[in-house]
Amino acid sequence: MAFSNRLFSVAVYSFIAFFVVICAVPFWMVVVDSFASESSLQTAGYQLFPSEFSTYAYQYLFQGSQLWRSYSVTLVVTVVGTALSLLITSTMAYVMAHKKAKFGGLLSFMTYFTMIFGSGMVGFYILVAIWLGLKDSIWSMILPYLLNPFYAFILVAFYRTIPYEVNEAATIDGANEFTTFFRIIWPMTVPALATITLFYALQYWNDWYLAIMFVDNYHLHPLQIMIRQLIANMNMQSYLQGGNVSFDKPLPVKGVQLATVCVTIGPIILLYPFVQKYFVKGLTIGAVKG
Amino acid sequence: MFGHIVAFKQFRPSQGIWGSKWAGLDNFKFFFSSDDWIHVTVNTLFLNSMFIFFTLGIALILAIFLNEIRYALYKRLAQSVIFLPYFVSWLVVSFMTYAVFNTSDGILNKLLNAMGEGSYNWYGNANLWPYILTALFVWKMSGYVTIIFFSAITAISSEYYESATLDGAGRFQQILHITLPLLRPTLVVLLLLQIGRIFYGDFGMIYGIIGDNPILIPKTDVIDTYSFRALRSLGNFSMAGSVVLYQAVMGLITILFFNWIARKIDRESSLF
Repeated sequence: MAFSNRLFSVAVYSFIAFFVVICAVPFWMVVVDSFASESSLQTAGYQLFPSEFSTYAYQYLFQGSQLWRSYSVTLVVTVVGTALSLLITSTMAYVMAHKKAKFGGLLSFMTYFTMIFGSGMVGFYILVAIWLGLKDSIWSMILPYLLNPFYAFILVAFYRTIPYEVNEAATIDGANEFTTFFRIIWPMTVPALATITLFYALQYWNDWYLAIMFVDNYHLHPLQIMIRQLIANMNMQSYLQGGNVSFDKPLPVKGVQLATVCVTIGPIILLYPFVQKYFVKGLTIGAVKG
Repeated sequence: MFGHIVAFKQFRPSQGIWGSKWAGLDNFKFFFSSDDWIHVTVNTLFLNSMFIFFTLGIALILAIFLNEIRYALYKRLAQSVIFLPYFVSWLVVSFMTYAVFNTSDGILNKLLNAMGEGSYNWYGNANLWPYILTALFVWKMSGYVTIIFFSAITAISSEYYESATLDGAGRFQQILHITLPLLRPTLVVLLLLQIGRIFYGDFGMIYGIIGDNPILIPKTDVIDTYSFRALRSLGNFSMAGSVVLYQAVMGLITILFFNWIARKIDRESSLF
């Protein structure tokens, strides 16, 4: 009995350790190799322990204009998108959860219905690109994600736990609807709002579906599309430098790809230890609600 | 919903939806007359079934095993690292995949060379890719599912385990007879949510990793990438529209069917 228990423990620890290594190695490789010299990357390929240290890839990347452009696009999309979607999702969910608000049921139905039966990609494309005329506009990367039905319903469930007497008390004290919502209800739902904000931010930061659908202009390429362009490897030099190509510096092809991936996932990895618990909380809420 | 009309039109952006000519069922005839629709449907279903089965299975094992670990630090660290791949985009995963699998300097081939084997052209063999994609999906998503399972496990009252220990049950028996049965509702809900979307391929993943690679497309093209290419590369709105409508109808049938089955087995676990 004791022996089989010990055997089981060994199996448990080694399986977890194995999976942890598998998950960590690609990250390690990308980060470490981005600091390897181009010549060592060219001769030895991607390695777990590169032989030569160099920051040349980063220097080359930072001196071109495309990285700064892409970084600002991604930042603007993430910040504006997250702020707007937080506002829209929370107000929408509040109305859906509100006892006295009219059309709450209709709104829920419409949100739920479109979640399951969307118009599909083509209708979506025609709406955004042709009717709204957002092709090659930064709004095409922001507007479509403003309301995620799933997060809205999580919030609805959260608002429903707040007793309606809170609203009544606020009204008696002379608060109007806006004051009630922003000064009283919002502070009470901060944990849920924080989780949803982070999920939205992650979605905007990592998204490239909208960009690949609607954005052809390389001035508006977000970081994710920049990675894609660098992998596709077409005219890398002029793409990175933004037109004025200087041929005196050799292009570190692999180094630049690795460095771009690193600056893209860098903020996520740096923030990860601090925000992980909110994501875990979000998943747990989702699991409880089914 | 309205956008589905495009499937029955000869849509030209300059003429708008109402201005374009009606095409009847021509777009569908075009889609169904070639073998493409069989390929993309089979690929979508096969890939998604593999994804669902292996992700749920491995996440279940990971969650149960994590719960067995007694060192808190090790447990927390492992959980964090396993969850980490969820936070990067499929394009980043695609780059990592390339670094591991490419022929000339990928890590895998370097490893094979070191063991005295020749290099293998991974990107030249389409048959391998459904399995590679499954492995990548498990790599990226199992952390997410593990956390859901893990939180369900921690919600199980410890009294069950205490009384089982008193009765002389080993840890393995406790897992088999307490943890697994109590995880069943969570598993069923996750399974239903996933199966309901089995006709929807993971566009970000497939297009991010495979892109337009003509060698790999026959085995990895899913309905979503197929219609995307019809729309964005060929600019054929109506053909893409017919593919999307076909997908939506099949998806709806699947959801209704599995919801019906779930209600037959267990009223509580049906979605609506």
